[in-house]
Amino acid sequence: MAGSMTQLNNGITLFFSLLVEAMPFLLIGVLFSSVLLLFVDEQKLLAIMPKNVVLAALAGSLIGFMFPVCECGNIPVARRLLMKGAPSAVAIGFLLAAPTVNPVVFWATWIAFRDQPEIVFLRVGFTLIVAVTIALIFSAQDDMRPFLQDNLTRMMGEPESSAAADPEVSPLLKSGTFLMQSPGQLLQLDAPPAQVLAQVAVAPPPLGTRLQMMVDNMVLELRELGAVLVIGSAIAALVQVAVPREIILGLGQGPVTSILAMMALAWVVSICSTVDAFFALSFASTFTSGALLAFLVFGPMIDLKNISLLLTVFKGRAIVYLFALAAQLIFLLTLIMNLYTS
Amino acid sequence: MPWQALIDAIMLLLWGLMLLRFTVTGKLYLLLHPDYMWLAHLAMVLLLGLGLARSVQVWLSYRQGRGRFLRSQEHVALLPRHFSVGLLIAIAMVGLIYTPRPFASETAFQRGITDVLGQTRSRPQRFSLSGESEDRTIVDWVRTLNVYPEPDAYTGQTAKVSGFVTHIPGWPENMIMISRFVLTCCAADAYPVGLPVELPAGSPRPAPDTWLEVSGTMQTTSLDGKRQLAIGSATLTEIPEPRTPYEY
Repeated sequence: MAGSMTQLNNGITLFFSLLVEAMPFLLIGVLFSSVLLLFVDEQKLLAIMPKNVVLAALAGSLIGFMFPVCECGNIPVARRLLMKGAPSAVAIGFLLAAPTVNPVVFWATWIAFRDQPEIVFLRVGFTLIVAVTIALIFSAQDDMRPFLQDNLTRMMGEPESSAAADPEVSPLLKSGTFLMQSPGQLLQLDAPPAQVLAQVAVAPPPLGTRLQMMVDNMVLELRELGAVLVIGSAIAALVQVAVPREIILGLGQGPVTSILAMMALAWVVSICSTVDAFFALSFASTFTSGALLAFLVFGPMIDLKNISLLLTVFKGRAIVYLFALAAQLIFLLTLIMNLYTS
Repeated sequence: MPWQALIDAIMLLLWGLMLLRFTVTGKLYLLLHPDYMWLAHLAMVLLLGLGLARSVQVWLSYRQGRGRFLRSQEHVALLPRHFSVGLLIAIAMVGLIYTPRPFASETAFQRGITDVLGQTRSRPQRFSLSGESEDRTIVDWVRTLNVYPEPDAYTGQTAKVSGFVTHIPGWPENMIMISRFVLTCCAADAYPVGLPVELPAGSPRPAPDTWLEVSGTMQTTSLDGKRQLAIGSATLTEIPEPRTPYEY
């Protein structure tokens, strides 16, 4: 009986520990997301995205350098990008790479692995390879909508015609009622209201109003993502308390099992990417370098905690694809590294 | 009355207050590594600020009788709004009432307590052995052992450490482990370290989780068929649980 009380106490302490650790990053993410919504001209940002799909995927993967957010914070930003009409290559690249390829995480990883700088650079390199590859696979799909949550696709408006994919086709060839705003900029009057509002919002309202809207948006996202974070942290704490670590760590000796064990651990522990390097450091002498990298690359992309956050953007099927693709690519890359370097 | 905005304000304020409570009571030390506490403090300020801003908005709109919050915000929602707010308020209330407990001996044993920190978590930048041996904490000793594991090298050095008692199954009645949890970033990655202590002849074995200050002389002991460094001729003093029960 005393044992189960201890377990319960541990679970609750872990739960609050995860919450208190993640909440600041969620706030920062929501703040950036709201700033992006109201103060960044998303059309300009998306306009400078390369048209070439490979370059777009790479550019999306690198936007993270402007948004130092971890995986709890990047999902609202990715969702916002999709709503603003970002190509799927950009959005997926951002979603997968931003938690790792950003200055804060790079700095933290550098502090932790100063002795093994290859870990720091390979972490960034592997993340970019995996993110760009998956972004390309997803953008092979013409229309992302079947993968996205219905309420998000409603916010995105109707599927755009080939105009978006092929700039040669004049937007005037689209059917519907249009209002000419500025040369090349059209407002479709019979578009869904959300889309009209999104386009109208480009004309900037006064600063005070924008600040007010920013606060409104922050509260809105905080409420929703905060609730999801609570559920995710509760599950993560539960699994950590219920599954003895020895079982997970006992697997971690060989080149293959160590990678699998660290990926499982990354998934279970759900630790924020800004601090996970320190956590991984603890296994530096017992696990292969490949396994550490698997932990550092895989964890920020998909873990138990952010699956619930990902569900605010994607349907379950798409998350399964993301998960399977990321897991296989990372396993392959780190296995090659383990076999090649040892 | 903009009830929804008012409830949002209450939710934000409760979360801010929860963080404030953890900060004021020092319980934040049970949850986070001190290096990351400024982030929690920042979150606290932001949440309280947002909550206050929201409250002022609510008050102003109530006084002016204008429906400033009527703007419907169609929004991506995975969870029903009432559920999200309810859950967040409930968790903040739990956080305002529940007192986190530091991890104890049972968890230490479950997580594989060790004096071989083969897996040194945070690698010290510089490691000096010149300091007085009795100034070393448990984790200092374990890190030292990690660099140079031969127990005989430390025989005769004096030690003075504090920690909680763990009983290791299979150890003789006169041996306990004096232990601490080490935090790398937050309680989620706390890991236990410890040093064996040989109790003075005839003294009762302290109960698990008792906080002790142990002073004694280092000696080599055979435990589980393995030569290990242990604190011998130990003097045990019971101490209250420290404000910062973890080491870093």
